[in-house]
Amino acid sequence: MGMKKWMSSITALTMAAMLFTGCGSAGGNNAAPANNGGGDAAPAKPQGKLTVYVGFQEDHAVAAIKKFTEDTGIEANMIRMSGGEILAKVRAEQGNPQADVWYGGPADTFVQATAEGLLQPYTSPIAEKVDAKYKDPDGNWTGIYVGALGFASNKEFLAKKGLEAPKTWEDLLNPAFKGEIVMADPASSGTAYTAMYTVLKVMGSEEKGFEYLSKLHPQIQQYTTSGSAPGRMVGMGEAGVGILFAHDVIKYQEEGFDSLELTIPEDGTGYETGAIGIIKNTKNEELAQKFVDWALSPAGQEVGKTVGSYQNLTNPDAVGPEKAVKLSDINTIDYDVVEAGKERQRLIDKWSAEVKK
Amino acid sequence: MSAMFKRFKREPLLPILIVLVMLCLLVFIVYPLFQIAKSSFVGSTGEVGLEGYQRVLSGGGLFHALVNSLVLAVLTATLSTAIAYVFAYTFAYVKVPFKKLFNGIAILPVISPPFVIALSAMLLLGKQGLITKNLLGLENANIYGLHGLVLVQTLSFFPIAFLTLSGLLRSISPSLEEASQNMGASRLKTFLSVTLPLSVPGIANAFLLVFVQSLADFGNPMTIGGNYSTVAREIYLQAVGSYNLQAGAALAMVLLTVTIIVYILQNFWVGKKSYVTVTGKPTGQRRMIESGAVKHGLFTFCMIMSLAVIAFYALVPIGSFIKLWGINNSLTLDHYKYVFSIGQKAIKDTLTLAIVATPIAGLLGMIIAFLIVRKRFFGKKALEVISMLSIAVPGTVIGIGYILAFNKAPLALTSTGIIIVAAFVVRSMPVGIRSGVAALQQIDPSIEEAATNLGASGSKVFTSVVLPLIKSAFFSGLVNSFVKSMTAMSAVIFLISAKYNLITASILAQVEAGRIGVASAYCTILILIMVVALILLNLLVKWMGGKERSA
Repeated sequence: MGMKKWMSSITALTMAAMLFTGCGSAGGNNAAPANNGGGDAAPAKPQGKLTVYVGFQEDHAVAAIKKFTEDTGIEANMIRMSGGEILAKVRAEQGNPQADVWYGGPADTFVQATAEGLLQPYTSPIAEKVDAKYKDPDGNWTGIYVGALGFASNKEFLAKKGLEAPKTWEDLLNPAFKGEIVMADPASSGTAYTAMYTVLKVMGSEEKGFEYLSKLHPQIQQYTTSGSAPGRMVGMGEAGVGILFAHDVIKYQEEGFDSLELTIPEDGTGYETGAIGIIKNTKNEELAQKFVDWALSPAGQEVGKTVGSYQNLTNPDAVGPEKAVKLSDINTIDYDVVEAGKERQRLIDKWSAEVKK
Repeated sequence: MSAMFKRFKREPLLPILIVLVMLCLLVFIVYPLFQIAKSSFVGSTGEVGLEGYQRVLSGGGLFHALVNSLVLAVLTATLSTAIAYVFAYTFAYVKVPFKKLFNGIAILPVISPPFVIALSAMLLLGKQGLITKNLLGLENANIYGLHGLVLVQTLSFFPIAFLTLSGLLRSISPSLEEASQNMGASRLKTFLSVTLPLSVPGIANAFLLVFVQSLADFGNPMTIGGNYSTVAREIYLQAVGSYNLQAGAALAMVLLTVTIIVYILQNFWVGKKSYVTVTGKPTGQRRMIESGAVKHGLFTFCMIMSLAVIAFYALVPIGSFIKLWGINNSLTLDHYKYVFSIGQKAIKDTLTLAIVATPIAGLLGMIIAFLIVRKRFFGKKALEVISMLSIAVPGTVIGIGYILAFNKAPLALTSTGIIIVAAFVVRSMPVGIRSGVAALQQIDPSIEEAATNLGASGSKVFTSVVLPLIKSAFFSGLVNSFVKSMTAMSAVIFLISAKYNLITASILAQVEAGRIGVASAYCTILILIMVVALILLNLLVKWMGGKERSA
């Protein structure tokens, strides 16, 4: 009897223990469950594991991380998110950073992050090769690629309606495009913010820019969360025209979307400087710096074109993809990354309140 | 005092257990909710104010999202309940073939990933849709928006209403209806004056359940909502997209308030009534409708609905083999290659975390059910309310609460697996508690009393008397936890990290990027995992059952 009583007590205790480990271990210790190999609490080991937040397309990200590990022997975890999402996550984790490197996505978001003290400056020796307008003088971020904005139109749609592909921002206001245009939501997508800022510049003033955006709003069928989504939607014929980066349009074309036609706004287009930066208070600073060096090197920059990324590269020694739309061939606006970044939140709030009511 | 001491001596583990359970609930449910409530009053610069609520209620975009959500929820709940009622009625009153099929169809959406139907809706009814473009030749079909959402949510949620209603309709005593018919009332009159009024509580119950589900739904609005913004999606965009935690939290509070009001309505208005007709002892078999227009009409309706559901489900695996839907319809394995090279980690992470969460949720559910039904202790009512609260809290709200609560020491859990497991457990436990409570209420306490009187300790009674008796409830709780964890989306979308990415988040990202083929491949794999898991759990139940009988 006594034995049995003990046994049942033990059973119950085990269950209580299971509860405690499964659920109650919130009590302070930070141990990850035993099932995962990527332990985070091993500061004694110098060869840590990098965590990277990636702001460009997933297949490119996976290939890049793999190549990085091959080239350097350093292991890395990554997750792909949109530019806005990364900024939000880095902000949220400010007190307890969960990632070491922020890799890709428009520099505007990096500028905002710099202003908020979320980045750790590092000037890579390779950064001196990068044109000054593609990097932060204090080394908070460095450009890795550059790509212009464009319009993607569905050829069938154009043919059916007897339209030409839009060549200027004004063209998008053509009533024939009503409900046919897709772009991302500037609040969540760096691409869409680049477009919005570009419009303000092209129209000449913030006031005129917002006037234009208000006129554009009824033309929009949908604001997507991610910046490249409009290309797919137009490619699939879900929408007539999309606003997105030219390199994403080319990527879709290469993937088989023959229906896509790419035009670059002649009255001026903006471009993104895809950047890289180190997140403040990283626990792996040395490795993070190695990652930045690698990402700026020709080896790191040329990964993109192997998986169908068609941006221009910032390292003059790197050979960019042939199909890329060269900035020198088009009418680019004077894109002030610093201003764009500083004004980002205000302009997005204004847009949300006044345009996308 | 001595009585308490005696109780403590007899059940030394009970207080520990209660404290542990309470602690878990406080940390993982109450504390995050408290954090949301707090943040909704605090701006980004730390000032206290009602700005967040002003933004929500001032008639701007957030207010529209709220109205949109309510409109969508009313439409979806109405349609779902109506369809579910026809199904349930056919089940209980009509002799039709293929009942097993109908039953299976009605349960299918419960075990599927959240936006399988949304994906299919695009493939079937989008601009390149099989039906819209190829069959009907429509040029401008637009599936994005309110109508798409109503369609998708109705197909996804009517099974929930069906499960509620079929139990009720079957348990309505046939004697009342027979009496009515014997007195010369027509079948229609009988239906309108007896059956329908008796099922009103069930209808209200089903309506409210779907209403709340629709309100909290995240995956469908994200995939197919277009510009029809809803609260759950807007919370995500506010909190993650713009990092406006105050507005996000305020919106979450409003959503939570609406949901809780609905649950209170359900409890006060429906909860008490719903047992009225069920208490009577069964009085013989119901005479089924075996012929006539009613039968054929109902059968046709159920058949069409079932075929529609089948079509929606069949399309996802098909879509996963098609290169570029509507553009290049050649077959390919590319999407699976993509998933197995790039998405492998997400699948593995999800599976691991779900496997960890499942027994915890199952066990915790049973323990809480046991405490609620059988034990008397200080704070019991609170425990009951809190544990059930998590069913009323929309996933998006839990998610944002977890970001707020577990970001900093002492509970710095962001990016750990624990936080995701906790979310899984909290989200799936209430169903286990409910089935546990139901099972325990059917067991006469005298059995346990007998054991106790014979000198068994509390834990002994639990393990050797209660546990075997509630085994089936326990296993259905396990199944539910696993399925819910594998397909969880709204809460965990806030919690994924580089260390733990989840399959549903990957699917959403693919849908966002427009890679319908890859998203379909993910969904197909997810469904396969679910089927295998269900078979395994069933075998386990059988095996346990067999062992018990032989012992």
